[in-house]
Amino acid sequence: MGKKSNEIGRGAPELSRRALLKSSAGLAGGAFAVSIMGAASSRALAATTQPSSLNMLYATSEADSDAIKAALPDFKTAMGFDINLDTMPYNALQQKAFAELASGSSFYDIMIVDTPWMPALTNKIEPITDMVLDSALSGDLDIKDFIPKVFFDTAVYKRDTSNLHFDKSDVVDPAAIKAGGFEIFGLPMQANVLTLAYRKDLFEDPANQKAYKEKTGKDLAPPKDWDEFAAVAEFFTNAAQRRWGTTLMAGAGDWATDDFKTLLAGFGGDGHLVNDKFEAAFDSPEGVRALTYYVDLINKKKVTPPGTTSASWDNVATSFSDGLTAMTMNYHDLSLSPNVKGTVAYATVPMGKSIGPHFGTWMLSVNSFSKNKEWAYRAIQWFTSAATQTKALAHQLHPTRASVYENAAKDPAISQKFGNFYDILGKSLAVGVGRPRLTNYGDVDRSVWVAVNNAARGAATPEAALKAASGQVRDLLAQAGYKTL
Amino acid sequence: MIESPATREGGRPQGRLALSRAAAMGWGLLSPALLILFVMAIAPTIYLVYVSFRHENLLGPGSTFVGVQNFIRVLSDSDNWADALSTVEFVVLSVTIEIGLGLGLALLLNRRLPETNLLTALFILPLGIAPVVSALVFRVLLDPAYGWVDYYLQTWGIIADPIDWLGNPGTAWLAIVGLDVWQWTPFVTLILLAGLSGVPSEPKEAAALDGAGPLRLFWHITLPFLRPFIAIALALRTIEAFKTFGSIFVLTTGGPGTSTEVINLDLYRIALQNFDIGAAAALGIVFLLFLSVIMQQLLKVLGDNTDILED
Amino acid sequence: MRSLYSGLARLVLWVALAIVMFPILWVLLTSFKPSDISQALPPVWDFTPTLQNYTDVLTGNTYTSQVFGVLIVHSVIVTLASTLIGLAAAVPAAYALARLRFRGKRLTANWILSTIMFPPVVSVIPVFIIASRLGLTDTWPVLVIPYAAFGLPMMIWMLRSSIRQIPFEIEEAAMVDGVSQAKILWHIVLPLLTPSIVSASLLAGMLAWNEFLFALTLTRSAVKTAPVGISEFTNMYGTQWGTLTAAATVTVAPILLITLMLRQRVVEGLTFGAVK
Repeated sequence: MGKKSNEIGRGAPELSRRALLKSSAGLAGGAFAVSIMGAASSRALAATTQPSSLNMLYATSEADSDAIKAALPDFKTAMGFDINLDTMPYNALQQKAFAELASGSSFYDIMIVDTPWMPALTNKIEPITDMVLDSALSGDLDIKDFIPKVFFDTAVYKRDTSNLHFDKSDVVDPAAIKAGGFEIFGLPMQANVLTLAYRKDLFEDPANQKAYKEKTGKDLAPPKDWDEFAAVAEFFTNAAQRRWGTTLMAGAGDWATDDFKTLLAGFGGDGHLVNDKFEAAFDSPEGVRALTYYVDLINKKKVTPPGTTSASWDNVATSFSDGLTAMTMNYHDLSLSPNVKGTVAYATVPMGKSIGPHFGTWMLSVNSFSKNKEWAYRAIQWFTSAATQTKALAHQLHPTRASVYENAAKDPAISQKFGNFYDILGKSLAVGVGRPRLTNYGDVDRSVWVAVNNAARGAATPEAALKAASGQVRDLLAQAGYKTL
Repeated sequence: MIESPATREGGRPQGRLALSRAAAMGWGLLSPALLILFVMAIAPTIYLVYVSFRHENLLGPGSTFVGVQNFIRVLSDSDNWADALSTVEFVVLSVTIEIGLGLGLALLLNRRLPETNLLTALFILPLGIAPVVSALVFRVLLDPAYGWVDYYLQTWGIIADPIDWLGNPGTAWLAIVGLDVWQWTPFVTLILLAGLSGVPSEPKEAAALDGAGPLRLFWHITLPFLRPFIAIALALRTIEAFKTFGSIFVLTTGGPGTSTEVINLDLYRIALQNFDIGAAAALGIVFLLFLSVIMQQLLKVLGDNTDILED
Repeated sequence: MRSLYSGLARLVLWVALAIVMFPILWVLLTSFKPSDISQALPPVWDFTPTLQNYTDVLTGNTYTSQVFGVLIVHSVIVTLASTLIGLAAAVPAAYALARLRFRGKRLTANWILSTIMFPPVVSVIPVFIIASRLGLTDTWPVLVIPYAAFGLPMMIWMLRSSIRQIPFEIEEAAMVDGVSQAKILWHIVLPLLTPSIVSASLLAGMLAWNEFLFALTLTRSAVKTAPVGISEFTNMYGTQWGTLTAAATVTVAPILLITLMLRQRVVEGLTFGAVK
């Protein structure tokens, strides 16, 4: 009787009363058995007893720590335990994250990981594919809601050959990922992509529109291609009045590489910098054209504020919000200082032969040395859930789920606060170009930004700078064991 | 326990038993200090030597013995030699300027002007400021768009366009040397001023009466008295300048490009950003060997000019 | 002529003072400015001073995850502990090197002094690895012991110089009277050594308070010190000058005040007691 009781609903159409009794008893028995199993499994989960708190390492404004901090009380209510949050700015964060993982420390259960770090860390971050496939743990995950391009670029790697991409499908399917030999290493949290921000008030000013039309014969509007970009920037530049066309981040740092690879993609080159054959793909005619264009904006046309050759994310954000420039390209929404009267609107970056704004996403991952992996996984599920992300929009979180973008579009309060930012963010993510997956991307990055910075400062011609960098990159790739195929 | 005075400084030499008791006591008194220094100097060096012969990348697969490969890699990288040169340049420039300026300021302060006390008190201040803090402050002040330095230079008509201090190698060098000079010249000034205050006045007066000019007075009378103090300032500043990390890290992080990268920054990057511990250890050992040669020379300077090394 | 030289000398000195004081005064000034005008150019001089930056810093209303005031407390603990431990090791060591004669003394003495050549960035590597393996990251000892070690060479040398300047006859007389060694050290030498102990402690304490690299590498949050906290005041949205300068002032002020008050001791220490 017990065995048959599991075959619920397979009975013949005509049920005798006895059979009905049997099957209802069976039903009850079966339900009872299932509930025991369920209780047993949740007891098994609860056997990894709920911790009183978990430690989380996070970025600061780069990944919108304000949103996380604001969500902590809700987390406590929903999950029943605390999160001890440590936040650090980018450089310190990277050093700390790597140091923790390199030394096998179990201190941080949850760690934020930036995309370029992941190839080096596949042996230290816990793959969560199995937990994702476990319906008991991941019933509410709704993994298909994650933007596929973002998800694959950020979270899916092969453990031992971390340079391979999984982009064989348009849908996030954990089973297919596993079947392909890949693993999921976290859940994307904050998606960053380069967007163009501009002073709507300046662009809509009739006097400006008239003057621009007279000067160029075209209408003043957010530039659609790079030629327009240069023209608009020149139009708005008036150094005597402390106003420039745009910011550029040509300082020696990762940001310069990101600026350059965006332009490289825009000019028709390979925005990944290193192609699948492990060749440096930026020392090309497109690369030289892109870098020349960039350098000319700074030195010939002088449409950028002083200090551009040592500018990074924070300088350019301050420049724009203080009203020094009419346009800027950055990764988050911007607001103007109280003493600057204007409005900000957004657009996708200009298109050249192609379009490929740099993108990179932060994800929440489980430390493979953590003693609370399951609970850490539940926690990151909660933080990346649609509900939490939607609520975090008010704190300018860049969501990674399609449904949250829809929610943003529908919410008038969001448009009022952020203008068309989320709309543009979504559109830009769809065309974004990520980084090459290299364990020593940091060094490759450095070679490229040194080249960009040298060219921008006039210390080298674009050709020479890129040539020097590609030579270095070739050596670096060889050193890291990547053989040119 | 009565110790024989013979085993003490200033006593008469005596028996071996007393000497060995002195040795036991000596080592006993030294042991806490030696223990701490063992933990922090000897043990790390042993570890570094061990690791420098291995490929130990903490993020990758386990470690393997690779012999002298790390050393070859480190010594054949031309970037490392360029950075070594930068390090020496930084030390020579900074220390020379600090000693020169420090001496000048000390001489001026020694004139016992009415405001000497106030000035001396205020000059001591940069000494106490954390190098990281002063580097951050300098960075903010040198910002071409918002910093006060460029703003006032422009308002006073000294420059027309703002200078991108940290964006050009030349001015970035000015910045790191300038920071070091700002931070540590007062240190040198104080030491030399203390020395000057000990220079007796009679020989100077006598020589002045004999018609000696201020320059000869300085060279033949003041300077010899100052030698121990210059030696101390030189030795201390030189070795500290070689160890500089925080201020350059925060001010330029070795940039623009790699123009202000000193060896310490390389070590940090290789060890704590790439976690290539083997290569870092090899570079560290080479650097330590170099520094011990320098240290020998500095000890010689100290020994020749002061009595702080004497028994 | 003499007054011309005097006048020139004073001019140079005041210019030098202006250069020395400019960053310090800027920090102080900006810390009392409301944050929305702190970056304004031309600089705003006419404003109502506010303590808002200080309250923000001390109550944690900044975008760093920790309250800066807590980091100051950590700095105090680490500095005091390392200085005291350093002293406890340095005084006997200095005494041994100054008064006793035994084989290997000179070599040991020179070796102790030469340990100051060790760049912290080199010694942090093994310390980091060993500390991680032992689970000592972000604990008090992992900072206190290295800081004690950093200060030891200077402390020992300063105290040694000073002990040598104490006339030996005092101790000799006590020994002839049968006073024990320990009592001599404690009751006779130590009191005479007090000014030098103050000097040595000041300089070692300054070193510990201002140290950055070890604190950056070896702490997370439980033991993080002020200099590391200050370096975190810049981020992607810009540097908040108001809170940065307030935090800097809070970090720097205690050292500056103590240094000002005890500057005689500082100079004494720096010149190895050569000038009193």
